[in-house]
Amino acid sequence: MSGIAKTPVLAEEGGNNQSRKRSLHSSSEQCNNKRTKSDEMSANEKKSNFSMLTPNSNGTVKLTSTSMNKPGATTKKLVIKNFKSKPNLPENYQETTWSKLREAVIAIQTSKAIAYSLEELYQAVENMCSHKMASQLYVNLTNLVEAHVKANIEQFLSESMDRQVFLKRMDDCWRAHCRQMIMIRSIFLYLDRTYVLQNPSIHSIWEMGLDLFRHHIAMNTLVQTRTVDGLLTLIERERGGDAVDISLLKSLLRMLSDLQIYQDAFEHKFLQATERMYAAEGQRLMRELAVPQYLAHVEKRLKEENERLLHYLDPSTKWQLIHTIERQLLSEHLTGILGKGLEALMDGPRLADLTTLYALFSRVKDGLSELCNHFNAYIKKKGRTIVIEPERDKTMVGELLEFKEQLDHVVNACFQRNDKFLYSMREAFEYFINQRQNKPAELIEFKEQLDHVVNACFQRNDKFLYSMREAFEYFINQRQNKPAELIEFKEQLDHVVNACFQRNDKFLYSMREAFEYFINQRQNKPAELIEFKEQLDHVVNACFQRNDKFLYSMREAFEYFINQRQNKPAELIEFKEQLDHVVNACFQRNDKFLYSMREAFEYFINQRQNKPAELIAKFVDVKLRAGNKEATEEELERLLDKIMVLFRFIHGKDVFEAFYKKDLAKRLLVGKSASVDAEKSMLSKLKQECGGGFTCKLEGMFKDMELSKDINITYKQHLAASQEGGGLELSVYILTQGFWPSYPPVDVRLPAELTRHQDHFTKFYLAKHSGRKLQWQATLGHCVLRAHFTQGNKELQVSLFQALCLLLFNDGDNLSFEDIKTATNIEEGELRRTLQSLACGKARVLSKSPRGREVDDADSFAFNADFTNKLFRIKINQIQMKETSEEQKATEERVFQDRQYQIDAAIVRVMKMRKALSHNLLISELYNQLKFPVKPADLKKRIESLIDRDYMERDKDNPNQYNYVA
Amino acid sequence: MSGEDCDPMDRGENDGQKPDKMFTLKKWNAVAMWSWDVECDTCAICRVQVMDACLRCQGESKKDSYGKQDCVVVWGECNHSFHFCCMSLWVKQNNRCPLCQQEWSIQRMGK
Repeated sequence: MSGIAKTPVLAEEGGNNQSRKRSLHSSSEQCNNKRTKSDEMSANEKKSNFSMLTPNSNGTVKLTSTSMNKPGATTKKLVIKNFKSKPNLPENYQETTWSKLREAVIAIQTSKAIAYSLEELYQAVENMCSHKMASQLYVNLTNLVEAHVKANIEQFLSESMDRQVFLKRMDDCWRAHCRQMIMIRSIFLYLDRTYVLQNPSIHSIWEMGLDLFRHHIAMNTLVQTRTVDGLLTLIERERGGDAVDISLLKSLLRMLSDLQIYQDAFEHKFLQATERMYAAEGQRLMRELAVPQYLAHVEKRLKEENERLLHYLDPSTKWQLIHTIERQLLSEHLTGILGKGLEALMDGPRLADLTTLYALFSRVKDGLSELCNHFNAYIKKKGRTIVIEPERDKTMVGELLEFKEQLDHVVNACFQRNDKFLYSMREAFEYFINQRQNKPAELIEFKEQLDHVVNACFQRNDKFLYSMREAFEYFINQRQNKPAELIEFKEQLDHVVNACFQRNDKFLYSMREAFEYFINQRQNKPAELIEFKEQLDHVVNACFQRNDKFLYSMREAFEYFINQRQNKPAELIEFKEQLDHVVNACFQRNDKFLYSMREAFEYFINQRQNKPAELIAKFVDVKLRAGNKEATEEELERLLDKIMVLFRFIHGKDVFEAFYKKDLAKRLLVGKSASVDAEKSMLSKLKQECGGGFTCKLEGMFKDMELSKDINITYKQHLAASQEGGGLELSVYILTQGFWPSYPPVDVRLPAELTRHQDHFTKFYLAKHSGRKLQWQATLGHCVLRAHFTQGNKELQVSLFQALCLLLFNDGDNLSFEDIKTATNIEEGELRRTLQSLACGKARVLSKSPRGREVDDADSFAFNADFTNKLFRIKINQIQMKETSEEQKATEERVFQDRQYQIDAAIVRVMKMRKALSHNLLISELYNQLKFPVKPADLKKRIESLIDRDYMERDKDNPNQYNYVA
Repeated sequence: MSGEDCDPMDRGENDGQKPDKMFTLKKWNAVAMWSWDVECDTCAICRVQVMDACLRCQGESKKDSYGKQDCVVVWGECNHSFHFCCMSLWVKQNNRCPLCQQEWSIQRMGK
């Protein structure tokens, strides 16, 4: 469509305004379609480039669709012919028209009323374009606008202008410029749509306006700096919490992006300022605030900046801005935050704060891995303190369970069950739970050092201190990374030194503390009580010259104490008073302190040998034992589940099995098991965890118990049929050797009646099961005796040994220790304990002369006919052997033996597969196969042993190479 | 059973019959350990203790109810003993005792 073709139409229908307007709109619509991309988007309010244009262009768009259709709808035919001759223009048409337009433009620029109607002006422009004066017109218009813009700059250059005022004026100027340009463009629209469109090299009128504004005002260094600085000050004040004119900020920032200098002039400086500000703020607040507050602050800041982006900043800045803040407030302080606050948060546990922490750290690079590392370190540290301190052994398992639960909760609630954290937690648990493996060689070495210390300290304080320091240096080199342990140990040593050699007061205090510890630890621990009693015995013997009064008082206190198992403060205080009495008395003799110190050391070292595996097994034992009324079935079940979690972390599962088996045997044989269901459930859990091989022997133990029940029933029927037995009711537990812990065989002399019963049963049993032999376990037998006292009959529940001793008094009134020993053939130490329980215990059915609590070789015993007790059935407890040292050592020894076989088997397996292998490869292969911790030296020993036994040989040429011998 | 109830009855009986005995044994819960009555506790064929299941049975990890019963011990006339499983495989190749080379015939079986 050209300008020329349109002219006749205009002439023909000259008066019809309506139709002309329509064609104008339709053409404007078509032009619109052809415009550049940026123009198409002008309707979008968010698009910055023509933000000022939008309100005015609305009317134009609305009319377009109707105006296109109407001409096509007319039925009247219209024939258009060219004019015969070209219409002439007046000579000075161009000058007069331009002066008219110029006047109008200046009027717009100075905000005055325009003398001509807009329609007239528009027509003038259209006509000039039609007569090829468009380029001249465009140049004139450009000059005119340029002159005006140039004039405007003056107001911004004056010195000492308030920033606020300056920004305001800048904003006004910009708004005015936009308004004017829109107006001018509307008048010169025809020029814009024809001439400008056909010449791609020149700007549209609107862009020309922007260009001039940018060139003359915005790019002016002074003006630009002032504007940007003003903006930055405003933003900073807003960040500081002041209320500022947000719309001014928004408008000016919009201007910068419209002028396309946002990035160059503003963004860079803005980010720099942001970085500076937050770097300073981060450092200041890290010092001043606690971690939770700091985290809350960071979160608040991030939220604010996001709002800022919504309200006035250009969205393109978002990534960089947020990133800057994260870097300055978080990345820079990762270790600081974690080091300062993680522990406190975890100890809480402050779940909300931890959630924030996790959310924030997940935003920055390395944040989570750093958090994970610290999390791991925290668990290890906390776990170590639980596991490593011997004083906490009693509560260790409970504490571990609680700790694990807390961590699980934190990971679930706050860390979104992040796999990394779960894994890390598991790893940390495994690490610290195996911290206290049994290391006999190391312990022996350690003990030697300590012995050295003790010996040295007998002579000189200085020497002791020096030697201690040396021992420590050695110790540190031997076992790295155990600062907690060392500190603890050092404290103990320091304490001993201070207490024993310089200040008696302190020693008093320390002892009181030790007693307090004992009192607190006092839950159902007969073994410990016995040990304690022995210590006190020793004190009384050594320091009080065996004063009877002391002995009596102590015994009474103990009886009282053992009977009263509940926590009753009043009783505790009474007990403590008794002990205080002992303490006061024993201060008189310093010589004994040294001995006591050595004992304390022994105690301390023995404590160190307790391993978590063993403690867990014992913990389970306590929970499964009858009389434990703490928990319901469901609670017990849940507890067992939790214990299995700990069990999983244990490396020395064989240690656990050995101790568990020993305790299980006790529970089954004494009938102390709380519930068969709970036992079975524990067993199935172990089976699930470690496979059938691990539990088959334990299962065998249960099966033995059931088979024994059947055998006893058939035996009873057998007796009834043959009319033998009579009087004595015999029941026997038949145990399969190999399933049960091994008990040392004891040969005792049984009374004829018992032997008869025993032989009778043996005959009966072997007749049913050929090819077997029976080994009677006298140590495990129990009896019920009927006793006739002058005050009435009683039933005594006693061990077989106790029963044997008592039965002797049927035939003789007064028996010496030696008599009893020959008559029963019970081992001397065992017999001493047995008689002690009968003559010196709570229920004294025998009387001993001379009186006293120890049994000597010269003592003699008599039946105590005057025995009274308010109960009919009386259980006389055996005095237990010191289980801690001997029995435990035996169990460990057994574990060690088993491990040797496993090592042998693994070596042979590997060698059989590989035929030839170097030493190092073999060792590393073995470490992969073996499930328990083992030292290279042990492996070497086993390899030597296998070489001796011709399972393998050293290569003749290469001593580091082994060959398998088939 | 309540002790007090039986008390008068017991006393009457005891006072009449054996007044001199101060203690009488009423009940005995004994414990005995059984094992195979063998001279050598290792099976010479599979080198596993005869108290345990033989290698083959352990490998197949037969479960509690049968594992033990299946793997009983067998004695030959020569009084040498082996796992029954091991021996029954052995005699298929060579009907002699692996230890003394006597003709193998079963003297008794464990049960």
